[in-house]
This record gives sequence, C-alpha cells and structure tokens, in this order.
Amino acid sequence: MIITNNLTKLYGEQTALDHLNLSVKEGEIYCLLGANGAGKTTTINLLLGFIEPTSGSAFINQLNVQESQRDTKRFLAYIPENLMLYPSLTAVENLDYFSGIAGKTLSTSALKELLQEAGLQPEAFDKRISTFSKGMRQKVGIAIALAKDAKALLLDEPTSGLDPQASNEFGSLLQKLRTKGVATLMATHDLFRAKEVATHIGIMKDGQLKQQFTADDISLSELEKAYLDTVEYKELAL
Amino acid sequence: MILKTFQKETKELLRDGRVRISVIIVLLLLGVAVWISAKQYQNINEQYEAAKIAERAIWDNQGEKNPHSAAHYGTYAFKPKYPLSLVDQGVDKFAGTSIFLEAHKRNEAQFSAAADQTGLARFGDLTPDFILLFIIPLLIILLGYNSFTKEREMGTLTLLKSQGISNWKWLLGKWLALFFPIFCLTALLFLIAGILLGNLNDFGVFNSSSLLMMFVVYVGYYIIFINIVLLISARTKKSGISLVVSLCVWIIACLAAPKAASNIAETKHPYPTRQEFAANVLKDKKEGLDGHNPWSKEAKLLEEEVLKKYGVDSLHQLPFNFDGYRMQKGEEHEAEVYFKHYNYLKNQYTQQADVYQSLAAISPYLPTRFLSMAIAHTDYATHWDFADAAEEYRIATQKFLNDNFAENSEYGNWGYRADASFWKSLPTFDYDPPELGSILSRNTSNLGILGLWLATSFGLLLFTTKTV
Repeated sequence: MIITNNLTKLYGEQTALDHLNLSVKEGEIYCLLGANGAGKTTTINLLLGFIEPTSGSAFINQLNVQESQRDTKRFLAYIPENLMLYPSLTAVENLDYFSGIAGKTLSTSALKELLQEAGLQPEAFDKRISTFSKGMRQKVGIAIALAKDAKALLLDEPTSGLDPQASNEFGSLLQKLRTKGVATLMATHDLFRAKEVATHIGIMKDGQLKQQFTADDISLSELEKAYLDTVEYKELAL
Repeated sequence: MILKTFQKETKELLRDGRVRISVIIVLLLLGVAVWISAKQYQNINEQYEAAKIAERAIWDNQGEKNPHSAAHYGTYAFKPKYPLSLVDQGVDKFAGTSIFLEAHKRNEAQFSAAADQTGLARFGDLTPDFILLFIIPLLIILLGYNSFTKEREMGTLTLLKSQGISNWKWLLGKWLALFFPIFCLTALLFLIAGILLGNLNDFGVFNSSSLLMMFVVYVGYYIIFINIVLLISARTKKSGISLVVSLCVWIIACLAAPKAASNIAETKHPYPTRQEFAANVLKDKKEGLDGHNPWSKEAKLLEEEVLKKYGVDSLHQLPFNFDGYRMQKGEEHEAEVYFKHYNYLKNQYTQQADVYQSLAAISPYLPTRFLSMAIAHTDYATHWDFADAAEEYRIATQKFLNDNFAENSEYGNWGYRADASFWKSLPTFDYDPPELGSILSRNTSNLGILGLWLATSFGLLLFTTKTV
C-alpha cells in the first residue's frame, strides 16, 4: 500500500533522505524511529506530495505520488504532530468539512458515529474545537481518516505531548484501524508506543534507514539498545 | 467542495465577533445615510417644485411690460434632484441648483448646497455613495484579509492539502463566502432605494434599469476588491501583513489616486480663473454688436445692411422695430461668445476627465465613481447638459421677447408694452437628462476599464491560488 523506491531528497548539498526503500502493506503499522533530522518527516512529506523528491519514487496504492497527487490523496489520511482544526467550528462541523472536501457527504448521525468510533465522548460532539485538548483533536483526526475510508494513514509524531491515557487510547485506535486493513506509517520518538502498536519498526539516521525489525521479533529493551546504538553512534564518532 | 467551503467560511465569519460588529456598524451607517439622503431628496424636491411654480407665477403675472424689460427681469431654470441622487449625490452639492436666465448674459448655476453650509462641509456628508465607495471595500478587507493566511497560521492548510483539496474549488468557496454577504448588503441598500424611489415623485426620469445598472457597477467594483483582498491573502504569510497591504491598496485606490488624479488633471488642463474667464468674455463681447448701443460701429453696419436688404432709406420705414431686431442680433453675438468660452471650459473638463480615466488603471474606484455619478445624473457631464439646455432656453426666450418687441412696435417706441397675457405663451423650461443608453455609450471607456480590472484580478487570483 505504501512503497518507497530509492526515495531521495536533497536540500542543496544537505541530504534529507537517502535512497529510502520501505514497504507498508495493508494491515501493517510501520513505525519510523529516529532523532530529529533523521528524515522521518521528510519521508511523510514526500508521500503526501508536499515536496518533490530529488530522485526515486513513492507509491500509494500502486499510484505514483508525483504523477497522481490528487488520486493518491483519495487513499490517504494524515495526522500531523499538532492536528489543527477550525477552532470556531464544532467537532461535527470540522469532520463534516474535512470529509466533505475529500468527497464524502455524510449525515450528522453518521458523522457522530464516526466520532464515537474514534473515541470522542458524545458530549464533545457539538462543542467548539477551541475547547478541545490535543488528544481530543487527534481523535477528530482519526474520525476524519475513518470518514475518508483511508487505505493508508500517515502519522507524524501523533502521540507527542499526549498524556499516557490519551496516548494509550490513540494506540488502541490505530490497532482498530489495522484490523480494518489500513496501512499505517508513523514517525515517532516514542519507542514504547512503537513497540506496542507497530508490526514493523525502522530506525533512521541521517536520511538513511539503518535498521528494520518485525515488532514481534524484538523486545522493548533490544529495540531501545538498537535505537541508542544507531542514534548515539554519531555522537560517539564526534 | 465549493459548497462545503462556502458553508464553513460563512459559519466562521458569523461566529467571529469582529465581523458581526463590523457588519452591524456598516448596516447602521447605511440606514442613517439612506435616511438622511431620502430626507434631503424630499426636501430639495419640495423646494424645487415650490420654486418652479412660484417663479413661473411671477413670470406669468408681470402685467403689461416692455419685452426687453422682461428679458432683463429674467427667470430661473431649476435643476431637479434626480431619483438616483438618493444613492449617489455626485457633484450635486457643488454644482448649483438653478440658473438665472436674463438678457445678454449666460450665468453660472448658483445656490449650491455647499455654499449654504459652513466650513464644516469640508468634512463631507454621510451619504450612501460614501458607504458604497469607501466603507464597503473596507468591510471586504476586514472580512477577507485572513481568508488564506488563517489557514497557514492555524495549521489547517496541511490537513486540507492532505485531503486532496482542489485549489480552484477551494478558492471559489472562499470567494463566494466573501461575496455573498457583500452582495446581500448591497442588494439590501438598492432594494431600499428602489422602494423609497418607487414612492417618491420621480420626475419621469427614474427607471429600474438605471438602478439595476448602478447595482451591477457596484457589484463589479466589490468583486474587484474581493479578488484583490483574496489575492493578497493568498500571497502573504501572515494575517497582519495581509491586512496592512490590503489597507494600503484601499488607501491608494480610494483616497490617494482620486486626489492625485484631480491634481494632475488640474495641472495639465487648468480652468481659467473666474476673473480671467469674465475678462475674456467681456473682450470678445466688445468686439461684436451691443444690442443696447445704436451708435457703435457694429450697430451702424447692421443698420446699413438691413436698410439695403429691405430697400428703404430709414429705419422707420422697416416693417418691424429695428431696436428689437438689433437687440436680437446683439443677443446672438453674445450667445456665440458664451458658446465659444463655455466650449473651451467643456474641452478642459473633457481633457481632465481623460486624465482621470487614464489613472483608472491604478484604481478601480475612479471608473466606478464616474459610472455611478453618470447613471445617477449627478456628474459634471449631466450638469453641463443641464446648463446647455438652460442656455438654449435663454437664447430662445430672448428671441421670443425680442421678436415680440420688433414685430409689435415701431422703431424708437421704447414705450411699447406687451399684453399681460403674453408671458404665459412662453413655453416652460423642461429638461430631460440623458437616458441610460446614451450615458453608457458616453462611458464605454469606464465600463471597459472596470471590465479589464475584473478580468485581470480574476486571472491573477486564479493563477496565484494554484501555488497556495
């Protein structure tokens, strides 16, 4: 569902992403770990078509992102680190708008069902987003993905800043989406959450995918060690 | 997507306290302005009707009198206040409302509203055209300056892009959300104007197509402003910068450009001072026949010419009173002199108007203002038309009086008195202002410039939003 082939992005002489090859199939959750500047967000931006690759290609549902930007977005949902919605609109209204521009027209009851499925409390449905916590906004983001019936989900540090309970709830939501066959690519710093929700884990550094694991084949402590070895390697060299 | 964006933007606007307050203030201002204008319109028309009837009664009831005395006694041509001046008062306040018609002299229109006011009149009046031309564009800025920048600042742009939004549909939704309240506000004003005008004495010149045309012109003007404001919002990164740039455009377009145009036009094609104008007229008058002076060289030449033409030796043998004939010839010479000098003024005015039109390229305000005043019959062109019609009437009146004097008395009989009933046979002064068709054909360049502004601003906006 999500594939990158030698995906490379240079900013002048600076290499942001270096020949990245990865594949996320339906029902898989791939967590990209790495320090700041490792190339996680660049990967997501390239998959979204927000920036153009210097070389290589990215595919969503077998469609080349660069060649079919509008079409690939039909299958995509994206939740950034800080999901920002329209503060003067309610959760239902926000969901109605974002699903509407994605071409989905849903009744109010259908919208509320989606919000409920995303874990939002019913009393919050008709409240303005300006009163929402980050965790509640992320749930609306999930509802947007559900409404869109997205086949691929791109998440950029979605649990950053969430309290443990909200972060745990978010993990459960991802598992729910996984059972629906959604392919998820999540960039994160959170090793614990990655180990808990991912089916596959990759560790990036300097724009390169240094290590890849199947989540079941590695324990949390092994993952932590692998991560620190990869990330701190540079610091030791310095 | 267009409808969804329109609905979303409208909800956001309605829930924004600043927007609500701005709209309420504009509505209040509009209400007050329309009320004041309607009152003024009614008052002036009542005065017009009363003055017209009273002046005609004075003319009709002069009693037995020498026609040339009546010519000097004079009468007035009154300019009515036209129905659409309720919306745009144009130059009415400064142009004068009546012209004194007398022998030998073309007078300027007098009794302008501005002359009756104190220096405070310089601050201007709260009129519907002020709201339409200045305040509503400002409201457009307040409603639309952050239309695109807010998406960047709130961070919703990323999510929108990830949803695969179509830029032009998104733009159209936003455009409609800004256009709709402005359209409703303008339509409301014109609807009220239409209802008020439908219940007032219309002097036969009001027609709904003029009102509709004026509405279309203003809607075009607002569309240009909407396009400019959205264009700025799409190209700037922060709302504050967008607001400042939009306000700068408003200042240049609505305040600076018209004043600069006025200064440039006045410098390039100056009007003569009143003293110069009067001196030039007097000089030319002296070079021709003075109807009152039988001993001048020109009078003697005319005398010889007439005697020869009729084959008689004495003015007493003529079948008419030569004094009356000479008066009429003197009037004709003076009318030619006035025609020449007023034509020069008109030419200067036309060239000034051309300068204005050339500067319309930097301000959509200018063609809109010209069109609005022209349709409302409150521009200088209509005032010239009225003044010319009054002059034609004056010339015809003088001929009517001089002919009576010449045909009904003998040479040297200055004691002749026309019958008391004679005055009633003078036709009344009736002036029909130009109709909408001729106004529009006279203003094709303004319509063209406005059209060009519309096309260019739409084109730029579409081009710009491709890269938002």
